[in-house]
Amino acid sequence: MRKYLYIYKSELMSQLQYLFNLVFGFIGCGIILFIFFNLWHYIYSDSSQIINGYSVDQMIWYVIITEIIWGACMGRTLCRKISNDVRGGNIAYNINKPYNYIGYSLASHLGTATVKGIIYTVLALILGLVMMGNFPTTNVLELVLVLISSILAVVISSLFTIFIGLFSFFIEDSSPFYWLYSKFILVIGVIFPIEYFPNVVQPFLKFSPIYVVSYGPAKLFVNFNINDCISIFVAQFIYILVAYLLCSLVYKKGVRRLNVNGG
Amino acid sequence: MLTVVKNQIKVTLLSIKYGLMRQMLNKTTFITNIIFMLLNNASFILQWVILYSLKDNIGGYTFKQVLLLWGFAAGTYGVSHFFFKRVFSLSDIINTGKLDASIIQPKNILLSVITSDVEASALGDLIYGYIMLFICDISISSFLLFTLFIICGGIIMTSIAIIYGSLAFWFNNTEMLADTGNSLMVNFATYPEGIFKGVVKTLFYTLIPIGFANYIPVQVLNDFNVFGLLAVLGVTTLILCMAIAIFYKGLKNYSSSNLMSARI
Amino acid sequence: MNEEKAIRVKGLKKTFKIKLKEKGLIGSIKGMFKTKYKKINAVNDISFEVDKGEMIAFIGPNGAGKSTTIKMLTGILYPDQGEIEVMGIDPRRKRKQLAYEIGTVFGQKEQLWMHLTPYDNFKFFGAIYDLDERVVEKRINELVELFEISEFINTPVRNLSLGQRIRCEIAASLIHKPKILFLDEPTIGLDPVVKENIRTFIKRMNKEYKTTIFLTSHDVGDIEKLCKRIIIVNHGEIVLDDSMDNLKYHYLNKKIVEAKMKEKINLDDEEGITILKDKGYNLKIEVDTTKRTVGDAIKLLDPDKIVDINISNVPLENIISDIYKSGN
Repeated sequence: MRKYLYIYKSELMSQLQYLFNLVFGFIGCGIILFIFFNLWHYIYSDSSQIINGYSVDQMIWYVIITEIIWGACMGRTLCRKISNDVRGGNIAYNINKPYNYIGYSLASHLGTATVKGIIYTVLALILGLVMMGNFPTTNVLELVLVLISSILAVVISSLFTIFIGLFSFFIEDSSPFYWLYSKFILVIGVIFPIEYFPNVVQPFLKFSPIYVVSYGPAKLFVNFNINDCISIFVAQFIYILVAYLLCSLVYKKGVRRLNVNGG
Repeated sequence: MLTVVKNQIKVTLLSIKYGLMRQMLNKTTFITNIIFMLLNNASFILQWVILYSLKDNIGGYTFKQVLLLWGFAAGTYGVSHFFFKRVFSLSDIINTGKLDASIIQPKNILLSVITSDVEASALGDLIYGYIMLFICDISISSFLLFTLFIICGGIIMTSIAIIYGSLAFWFNNTEMLADTGNSLMVNFATYPEGIFKGVVKTLFYTLIPIGFANYIPVQVLNDFNVFGLLAVLGVTTLILCMAIAIFYKGLKNYSSSNLMSARI
Repeated sequence: MNEEKAIRVKGLKKTFKIKLKEKGLIGSIKGMFKTKYKKINAVNDISFEVDKGEMIAFIGPNGAGKSTTIKMLTGILYPDQGEIEVMGIDPRRKRKQLAYEIGTVFGQKEQLWMHLTPYDNFKFFGAIYDLDERVVEKRINELVELFEISEFINTPVRNLSLGQRIRCEIAASLIHKPKILFLDEPTIGLDPVVKENIRTFIKRMNKEYKTTIFLTSHDVGDIEKLCKRIIIVNHGEIVLDDSMDNLKYHYLNKKIVEAKMKEKINLDDEEGITILKDKGYNLKIEVDTTKRTVGDAIKLLDPDKIVDINISNVPLENIISDIYKSGN
């Protein structure tokens, strides 16, 4: 475990030099949040109106949290890196190293994600405070739980991305699959809470990755509820386990294929 | 004079053709890029279906009008990114001295730089634009108007990118600023004007001119008025002239990558 | 306007404002608010003339102002001060007109479309220079013959070897029959055989079309084999402008004696004799023949103890680097 911590730390330190770029890069994200601020204020007739269980401020905070998590995941970069490792033969060098490739990729990616996550969190929370004038919750325990759940969301999303990136063992280009995944999360999971969808699809969404990588932490932040909290954490742990097992399985199969083909 | 223009057009078209040929070297990738861009744009319809289930009218737009707005946004983006792809990396071209090759040719420098590559996926945007138009309205006149408007919009978007890119003639590290500036137009372009208020609205007719590239065209197509059309044509010309003037003013400062920032 | 001259440059100056950046994050943040600039005189008062049909080498160490000068001659950079006339045209005012008269090859930057064949590239350049279809075809045939391109005329450029590619680059830059060809490091990265090959082509072209050639290179072979005249710049100034023969003659009165000895001997510098290298058994001595003879040097070494000896002229490379150094 210590070596993964070390990989994580060195990646984090090297990312610090790009601090300025990250702050600047937040502008794009800030614009989206600003657009949603306007959009939801147009749709909600006044601040007391509740639609599908959410007030207008809650809807905007919801988008803020999901955008932070999505921004910190940087899935496209990770997916491209994994694909390049696989296709460029870099992975062959990793086979006989004393660490697990998936653990290595995850640790180094989380190092990058941490820096971006912190910057985005600080800036997005400031922006939210400016737009709404208050936080949905100031309970420290609740905030800590939201934070943990958000971190788990980033871990799960990264594992899924690694899983998709590893498809490159079997097909030439895995990016269309990543694209499908990102569209699914972005269009359905980032903008609207699950309650906004028709009753028929809601149960499906609750079992889908959306529940653990975007809906969960955002829901807890805007409207904390201990029952939701427990089920979200349970779901997140199950998902981590499943995602990790899927990664290992694909990796093992892929490496075996690599050996057969002679790299 | 006429032959000069004719020769310039010939070279520009040849340049775009060769750029397209490069993109088509790998046919599968080429077609996948286009199809995925179509699907990408289409996926946002879901967002609007949900939003319109809450309210019939958003920012003064009906659902169909939002589709048309998307058509204009995609069409505008498609025109500028297909024909003038390299304008969106103009800062980098200036910083790394890649303008040299265009300067030593006896043709228009700006055109030669920005037309030297095309973006395959932008074809998907163009096609999507027309699909949205046909969903809303099928007639020759709207087809012609739409085409005229996306050309104008594409020129506006390109001109803005020329201005942002030209900043690199005077300042260092302008790439991120240029990227952000260019993405502003794209981000706002797909949301109805009416959801914004006050200062932001004036931005749409000044610094982020999507008012002329997208909002007025939607109005004119729904309810033709000649003033809207003239305003778009006039502003397009104006912004283009401004962009060209700024580029050529900056060119005198061009340092052909000799200006490396020294570290102490 | 002087009809005889291909290039006339007078009092040319160009300064660059270089932004100084401090290291690290704090430096970057400081730099955002207050920037320090340093002025560098890249080209400082350069004047020279080149005759039509001449092959001239324009050389100097990195950062001496070579490419800045070339870029001003070709209209890429605006000079701060001074006059330039290239084929009687001021690059500042008539860039397009100038472009028809000159050709350029930058060894490190390719101008060709990589995914197209040389033939398609030539056609493209023909269109750029407004050439008629028939004229282009004829010209392509000429160039294909001159540069022996026919073998790979229909192979995409990206599949060509570096040597073949440079040949195509040069041919493409000649499509419009330029009066002057600027060659910036044309043989960079090529192996010796290919280098020689390219030089032959350049020579042939100069002979055939009377093209004036303005060459920069770090490769002494290029300069020695191609050019009759050499201009050396350093720190933005011309430190030498002379014929190749003169330059060599000037330095030919120095000889290098390299000897391998049976046993160690100790030698010290004397009038007219300089010890360049002394590794005990292996010696390298420079003899100034205006003051001492080579025989003197051999006597000093004691002929009986010499195992092997080699007497040679000072290589052009050393002459040039001496000139670079003396300019400091």
